[in-house]
Amino acid sequence: MTDPLLLVSVVADSVRSYGEFPVVGARGAVWIAAQVHLMFAAFVLGVPMFAVVAEAIGIFGNEPRYDKLAKEFTRLLLVAYSATAIWGAVLVFLLSTLYPKFWAYLTTVFGPSMWLYAGLFFFESFTLYLYYYGWDRWKYGTSKIVHWTLGILLNVWGTIVMLIANSWLTYMMSPPRDISSTTDPSTIKLWHAISNATWMPINIHRLIANVVFGGAIVAAYASYRFLSAQTDEERAHYDWMGYVGNFIAMSALIVLPFAGYWLGREIYQYDQSMGITMMGGFMSWLWVVQAFLIAVLFLAGNYYLWIGMGRIPGAERYRPYIKYLLIVLVLGSMVWGTPHTMIADSKELAAMGGSHHPLLGALGVMSAKNTAVNLMILATFLSFLLYRRGNKEFTVPWAATGTKIQGAMFVIAAAIVLFYGIRGYFVEAIVRIGYSVYQVGAVLLCIVCVTVIDSMMGRGAKAVGEIQWGKMPARSQYALFILAVTFTWLMGLMGFARSGIRQYWHIWQVMEDTSKYAATPALGYASRMISLCVLIFLSLVSFVFWLGGLAEKSTYVASGKEGKNVGH
Amino acid sequence: MWATNLKVIGVVLGTLLLYTVICNKIPQMQSEVPYKMPTIGPNTTPDQLAAAGEKVFNGVGGCAACHGLGTRAPNLLTDEKGTGQIGARCGKREPGKSCKQYLFESLDQPAAFVVPGYQPIMPRITKLVPVEQAWALVAYLESQGGTIDVSFTDIPAAGPAAPAAAAPAGFAGGSMDPKALIKEAGCRNCHMLDGEGQTMAPDLTHVGSRRDEASIHKKIVDPGSDVTKGFESFAGVMPKTFGTDMSKEQLDALAKFLAGKK
Repeated sequence: MTDPLLLVSVVADSVRSYGEFPVVGARGAVWIAAQVHLMFAAFVLGVPMFAVVAEAIGIFGNEPRYDKLAKEFTRLLLVAYSATAIWGAVLVFLLSTLYPKFWAYLTTVFGPSMWLYAGLFFFESFTLYLYYYGWDRWKYGTSKIVHWTLGILLNVWGTIVMLIANSWLTYMMSPPRDISSTTDPSTIKLWHAISNATWMPINIHRLIANVVFGGAIVAAYASYRFLSAQTDEERAHYDWMGYVGNFIAMSALIVLPFAGYWLGREIYQYDQSMGITMMGGFMSWLWVVQAFLIAVLFLAGNYYLWIGMGRIPGAERYRPYIKYLLIVLVLGSMVWGTPHTMIADSKELAAMGGSHHPLLGALGVMSAKNTAVNLMILATFLSFLLYRRGNKEFTVPWAATGTKIQGAMFVIAAAIVLFYGIRGYFVEAIVRIGYSVYQVGAVLLCIVCVTVIDSMMGRGAKAVGEIQWGKMPARSQYALFILAVTFTWLMGLMGFARSGIRQYWHIWQVMEDTSKYAATPALGYASRMISLCVLIFLSLVSFVFWLGGLAEKSTYVASGKEGKNVGH
Repeated sequence: MWATNLKVIGVVLGTLLLYTVICNKIPQMQSEVPYKMPTIGPNTTPDQLAAAGEKVFNGVGGCAACHGLGTRAPNLLTDEKGTGQIGARCGKREPGKSCKQYLFESLDQPAAFVVPGYQPIMPRITKLVPVEQAWALVAYLESQGGTIDVSFTDIPAAGPAAPAAAAPAGFAGGSMDPKALIKEAGCRNCHMLDGEGQTMAPDLTHVGSRRDEASIHKKIVDPGSDVTKGFESFAGVMPKTFGTDMSKEQLDALAKFLAGKK
């Protein structure tokens, strides 16, 4: 009997390698479908993670508002999930019609995992339906725990689905070294192809990034609902929801760069030329843009927190410190965005006095950039800490000492970051790379220890006043929109970087792209495509949320009757 | 409500516009696909050669990065200080050299003749692209204001009996004369040697008194292996291609010559 996979290959060989698509071309069509699908997928994978955590806080912390929040998160998922599947189908159809030979290759190698993927999609869909529609049915006692377990299961299915899809795209980037252009795809072992060099780093990076992205989109949704709220109660609820979404996004963002470094290191280890193309080749300017975008994220995230302190009685005590935090963030952003190597002729080199500009050369290196980003993370954490203790008056006898210890931890962490940052200039690259671990370690240790001390100090603390949820100026909500747009755009940019470093290869050094779109476009063209994808995604997600709002209106029960509340 | 909607749309579109504009304002670099030249045979026409050369010029050759900016290298496709396009002036650049000889030399030995007013910064194009692509480039440049006279027989890989002068055998034409190697490598663009050259890199006049032959050899092949004190800020400027450009015998001859500079 003939192998069906081989048949697919033979059929593909007998037909054209590439198709064409009107207006945007084949590459543009696949680019848009893949990117918009990925944005929806990131949302529907990220949101269940914190929905299930919020439900757990509701159950085990006896906080009904978190349960309500978890349900609202899940309602957003419901329609977004369909959109994810639709865009996934669009992507598959476009790939199979526009890149039939490449698609036949992928299906030959990954066929069985694609069947599993489709099967898991069923499980995931029905678990989601059960999870959402069963919310009010299974809300007490053991049945609530069972319901929560459904939420965990939803995350398990979603994560496996993501791991499978990641294996396909990481194979394109880093196929195992024993596979070449002459290797018969039907002889490649499935697990060998899945467990390629960049699979696990991408898995971790995407897992965290999905949480960041989900949090940001939820915060933007809440901010829109806040701006269009009709009652103070509604405004207060969505103000709080926006705060939680932003908190989730910013917290996960803090660890994201470390996952990114791991991915970058694996890319370098797999193929140094690929790493050089990414960081020092035609994509080098992309990282300056990335630094700018992350600077926007840090500034907008902190700005939102600082404005939020206005609704916290007692937080005015900390307002004088904000300007110093702003200085650290702005200077840090400038250092992080400093370009390093620029093409120059011998006259220019002589005028600069070296291969690099005397100022830019010193600040554009990893020692300075790592120092800058770590100090920015510390500043952001300090912003959050001041926000958190805004209306608290600690009553434990050791409160003053505890605060001094916290302050000392910040100083020590900053000193360690600076010390290794400066020392990095005087040692070899291999030693310098190791220093980033000490810098990151110091910052994370500071964050963990200070949070623990703060939680202990907070026990029995007096509230200077209640947080005035809903008493936020509109401009704070626009900061949340900027955050959501920036996160989404950054995701598109990083997708371009990851995919673009393959250059004219469908599968790196295995299957060459011989289409007329084989050249990897410059950043200008890529930015227009990214903006288009973001616009499509945000328009669709707004429509999806509007649809969700229609269902909610029909079931909305005003507060005071929360026990019978079935929609909100 | 509509005012809120419009503000939200404005913020979203404004943010997208800002990022898009920034990305379009910075230098645009596209990753090109290596050009696969069609087979060259006796029936290949000059126009076909020039068409292939145009692809090399705008693609893998990277010529447009400097030629045409008006500062780093002479304009080739447009007028250069009243002398016309490159095809019109190439035959008058070097006495005794035809247009195609001059153009090929500038691709194969860029330091052999540097247009007054410019720095010898051009890389050796025959190291970047196959020789037939370099000849296609010559044909394309000739077509810019001149007449294409490159033919099948000029191209060593394609022609039946290529003229020996067309493609010199190796670096500096295979010369073992250290002075010719120094000239070809453009060492004096950065180093001072016997009172001639620049001061951007260490003076080589007495280099033999501070380095032995092996150390000089290593430094030429792997410039990053160590950096002379006081020149740390210029680390990375020296090309790393001499080890592959020159033959072993040429490298030995050059290192021995420099080691003798006590």
